[in-house]
Amino acid sequence: MAIISIENLSKSYRVYQKQEGLLAAVRGLWHREYRDVHAVRDVSLSVEQGEFVAFLGPNGAGKTTTLKLLSGVIYPSGGSANVLGYVPWKRENEYRRRFALVMGQKNQLWWDLPAQESFRLHEQIYRIPPEIFRHNLDELADLLAVQKLLGRPVRELSLGERMKMELIAALLHSPEVLFLDEPTIGLDVVAQHNIQRFLKYYQERRKITILLTSHYMKDIAALCKRVVVINDGAIQFDGSLSGIVDQFSSTQILRLQLAEGVSAEGLDRFASVESVELPKVTLRCNRQDVTRMLASILKQYEVADIAVEDPPLEEVIARLYEDHSSGGKYEAKTGEPSK
Amino acid sequence: MADNNQIGQTKIGPNYLRVFLTFARNSLVRDMMFRTNFLIESVSSLAWSSMNVGLYLIIFQYATSIGDATGWGKYEFFVFMGTTWIINAIVQAFFMPNIEEFSDLIRTGGLDFAMLKPIDTQFLISLRKVSWSSLANLLLGSVLIGFSISQLATRQGTPWSLPPSVFLLFPMYVLCGVAILYSLMICLAATSVWLGRNQTLYDFWFYITNFSRYPMEIYARGWGIPLFVAFTFLIPVLVVVNVPARLLAQPLAPKANWEWPLALFTLFATVLSVLASRWVFRKALLSYRSASS
Amino acid sequence: MMSLASLPTQFSCWWMVFRIALEERLAYRGDFALGTLMRFLPIITQIFLWSAVFESVNGRLAGYTLPDMIAYYLLSMLARAFSSMPGLASTVAKQIRDGEIKKFIIQPIDMIGFLLLGRVAHKIAYYTIATLPFALVFFLCRGYFSSGWPSADVLLAFLLSLVMAFLLGFFVDLCIGLIGFWFLEVSSLLFVYMLLNFFLSGHMFPLDLLGSWQFVVNFLPFKYLAYFPAAIFLGKIESSQLWIELGLEAVWLLGLICLARFLYARGLRRYSGYGG
Repeated sequence: MAIISIENLSKSYRVYQKQEGLLAAVRGLWHREYRDVHAVRDVSLSVEQGEFVAFLGPNGAGKTTTLKLLSGVIYPSGGSANVLGYVPWKRENEYRRRFALVMGQKNQLWWDLPAQESFRLHEQIYRIPPEIFRHNLDELADLLAVQKLLGRPVRELSLGERMKMELIAALLHSPEVLFLDEPTIGLDVVAQHNIQRFLKYYQERRKITILLTSHYMKDIAALCKRVVVINDGAIQFDGSLSGIVDQFSSTQILRLQLAEGVSAEGLDRFASVESVELPKVTLRCNRQDVTRMLASILKQYEVADIAVEDPPLEEVIARLYEDHSSGGKYEAKTGEPSK
Repeated sequence: MADNNQIGQTKIGPNYLRVFLTFARNSLVRDMMFRTNFLIESVSSLAWSSMNVGLYLIIFQYATSIGDATGWGKYEFFVFMGTTWIINAIVQAFFMPNIEEFSDLIRTGGLDFAMLKPIDTQFLISLRKVSWSSLANLLLGSVLIGFSISQLATRQGTPWSLPPSVFLLFPMYVLCGVAILYSLMICLAATSVWLGRNQTLYDFWFYITNFSRYPMEIYARGWGIPLFVAFTFLIPVLVVVNVPARLLAQPLAPKANWEWPLALFTLFATVLSVLASRWVFRKALLSYRSASS
Repeated sequence: MMSLASLPTQFSCWWMVFRIALEERLAYRGDFALGTLMRFLPIITQIFLWSAVFESVNGRLAGYTLPDMIAYYLLSMLARAFSSMPGLASTVAKQIRDGEIKKFIIQPIDMIGFLLLGRVAHKIAYYTIATLPFALVFFLCRGYFSSGWPSADVLLAFLLSLVMAFLLGFFVDLCIGLIGFWFLEVSSLLFVYMLLNFFLSGHMFPLDLLGSWQFVVNFLPFKYLAYFPAAIFLGKIESSQLWIELGLEAVWLLGLICLARFLYARGLRRYSGYGG
């Protein structure tokens, strides 16, 4: 039985179209134009208990909206979803006690107070038994190495430390499902790495289900076996990270190390040459041609070493976004007089 | 608390009292971090009130009562004013800072977090912060009432004597007043869901409650009658201060035949306003869309 | 420092700032409609309160008749519409605290000019909407202006006092906001200012009611924010005093401009000293 199941989930809403120019702004007092934005369209997905799933997609693709729908913060305009047996937007207390949402760009701790005061508040709101609270807090603070910072006002913490506190706040009540929206945004490499390591460890130990959105491929590569690519509010791909490359990249990269004294001349007959730094040569060719190509190259050149690689993931995904956004029927414009 | 955890975990909601106490405690911790600020705030809100006394001391130098034969002489009016302060102090201490923040939460999407918590969202939004310094006026109001009553009780001619029932009824009606004002505030704040930014909320609030700051008799003339009716029955701000203040300030005046019905109506209006505020809040949440989708 | 050639670009830059502020203002019409409507509610309570108060007074109170009193409140409201700067000081202080002030260090734009222009735009946006209700209310209440229109030179002085009230209000608020360079929270200071302003500007009551104490407020700048324009219009200020008083107001204004510049320069130096 899937722990999260989504069927044909959609969310569209209407925004006031701000007009350019002063006159238009004055006119906007009486007459306003709206447009419908389809943030999520017809998304279906099923996640098993213990999975760590990444949502990948450009800005405005609908990742955050999906997480908000699953948290029950907003209502869908269509479709259904079920998390842990609950319909999220009914916002039942039983459900809300069993998941958590962390948003990298937003802060839910009291700004002027030490984080531990906010934690104590969570203890009360989630009704965490004191001994469990104590135990969880100790464990999490140890894992994230922030024991000493618990008594310091949040506003004095660095971005990375604040993120760690946000994570603790979210995990104190031992949620079974965790939604992470850009948890490493704006962090430096070390802090990113720390948070990744923590998430990996914690997820494996507690066997909780995590949905993560991120811009950073590193986050995803380090954490998630399963990746869901969202663009224009719809799912473009659902599978393993390497699957993305298999499915969306038609080319592969050949790295040759030529034997001493061998010239790279003529290699462009076989495939497009990416770079030549003798004795190293990089070539790119179509996936299905690789074997044939290799055979003929080996026949004609003396090669010391050879490697076949997939193109870098970033490149594949960047291309994936481009492909889909070019066909954008992103929004329908509707002019509507209003009072 | 510890013994009912097993059940508490799954079935029972959060202990609202404890959550509130944590709010109050955290606010106090915060206030104490900015001690000077806290002190200045308390002093200035006291000064603000004293200024009001100043104005009426000036007015009562020229006039003998607010309105002819209404019974609102100097000290009766000061009892009225003290009641206003007490009610406003409670509203400002417990609700005002939160509800002012409500529009911000909507704009910045901070409401998302409130909605995630396994606790009544209206409760969470309404009581998150306590502005302890605002309670200074509660003290000052009590002192002013005490002083004015002692003046009235020892004056020549018709000295005051309070029936004991007042000590129960006065606090009760003060709380009714608070509840009505709170409901109005929530309804106003909820409009920011529909109107976008709502900077004028505070102004609106001030202007509406402005009506409640004076004895209701002053409106009962000419074109004031429709206002009187509207602000008694439609948006019942006139009863907020008038009913409890009247209990204290006019105990000897011959009870007009409309006083008891008004007192009963106040109870009714309180219940209705609180229900209305819940309804409006729920509606507002429904149409809330996260600022960033 | 500004070369002549850059004047047109400078001007177009300021024009842009002005337009953006105006557009931003007009985008929130819900606020607008409510705000304008509500602004007239206190006058209603004032009318009722003073009607009740005058019942136990014979005709005049500190030289004011009941119509005078109401007219005073209407006029002081008009003056306050010029001189009040909602949110200015707190926004400036917040920008300092959040480091948003950096924008003015980085971008080639003067903060005080930027803010002033923004305010002018806000006020203009406000008046485009508010003129009609204001005119309506004054028309409905024309009966309270028992002595009719004042003479032309008094009217001119009145208009001048309104413009200066706007500038004075702006620079006082700005100075308070700039104090945020030295104190983390200026909200309490702002509150004290609002308090003094409310009582001493004549917003709460005509300052003539103070009787023999009126000389105290005469030494303070607050009275220019509400009392002064209203008193001019109602002929409470003798014509011989009128222009002297306006001159004094200008001196106050000049002093405040200098103070704001000084605070800004000092504050920035302090701010960059910290490495913000």
